[in-house]
Amino acid sequence: MAREPATRDLMFQDEIKDTVRRAYAAIETGGGETVARRLYSEDELAEVPPGAVEWALGVGNPVRYALLQPGETVLDIGSGGGIDTILAARMVGPEGAAIGLDVVDAMLERARIHVTEAGVAGSAEFIRGEMEDIPLPDGSVDVVISNGVLNLSARKSRALAEIFRVLGPGGRISLADLTVEGELPPEVANDQSAWAG
Amino acid sequence: MSGALAERVFAEKLERAGFEDVWVGGHRSYGIEDAARYPLFTPELIEVMKRTISPERRDHVATGVIVKARKPV
Repeated sequence: MAREPATRDLMFQDEIKDTVRRAYAAIETGGGETVARRLYSEDELAEVPPGAVEWALGVGNPVRYALLQPGETVLDIGSGGGIDTILAARMVGPEGAAIGLDVVDAMLERARIHVTEAGVAGSAEFIRGEMEDIPLPDGSVDVVISNGVLNLSARKSRALAEIFRVLGPGGRISLADLTVEGELPPEVANDQSAWAG
Repeated sequence: MSGALAERVFAEKLERAGFEDVWVGGHRSYGIEDAARYPLFTPELIEVMKRTISPERRDHVATGVIVKARKPV
């Protein structure tokens, strides 16, 4: 008797990665002020250009909790439009560095424009890469932040191992992310766009 | 959202990765109307969520959290 493939309605790792990448590449705007005002203070929003606010897509405020110090090197995984990278760059100052990592070229281009508009291009840079294969040396950063990104990975243990690798001894993480308790309805859980959203 | 972990599982994965002093806080509820503010949630998915998620859970489908931890010295 032929057996139904057990994974017929499940997505494979590569499918999930492609789905997420295509979804983020396809959107024409971020969450905008409605999302940004829920996550950031008036003072914080005054420090970032309108374009970065428009492209806010996070679920928290990891920079606020990261306790960044001048001179530190911080890695922003899934930096998107750059709002958290800009806030981090201001906190670490010209002696430090804020590195944004993203897989979507259009996001990297937007973020580079936004850091220039914010006047922090000297302490911020953006690199293309995946959170499961971070293109940075071992122990090269002091702090890792991300905002609504780890849940997008189909290989979370691998992503966490990479974060651990690039941090130096005593290095810190401040990750904003979604958690879900219990099961989502299968119609939602198996919807491709629910992996990107 | 489909890839989101339970809070306890998230913390356990961090500990297995070698992190210490794991802290989870900054909890913030995300319901269907909150999800609809993000362009990554398509109108079709929002409709599916409204149709399939129980009324008592519609204002709290997921939770936004801050997770902090440290790599040992």
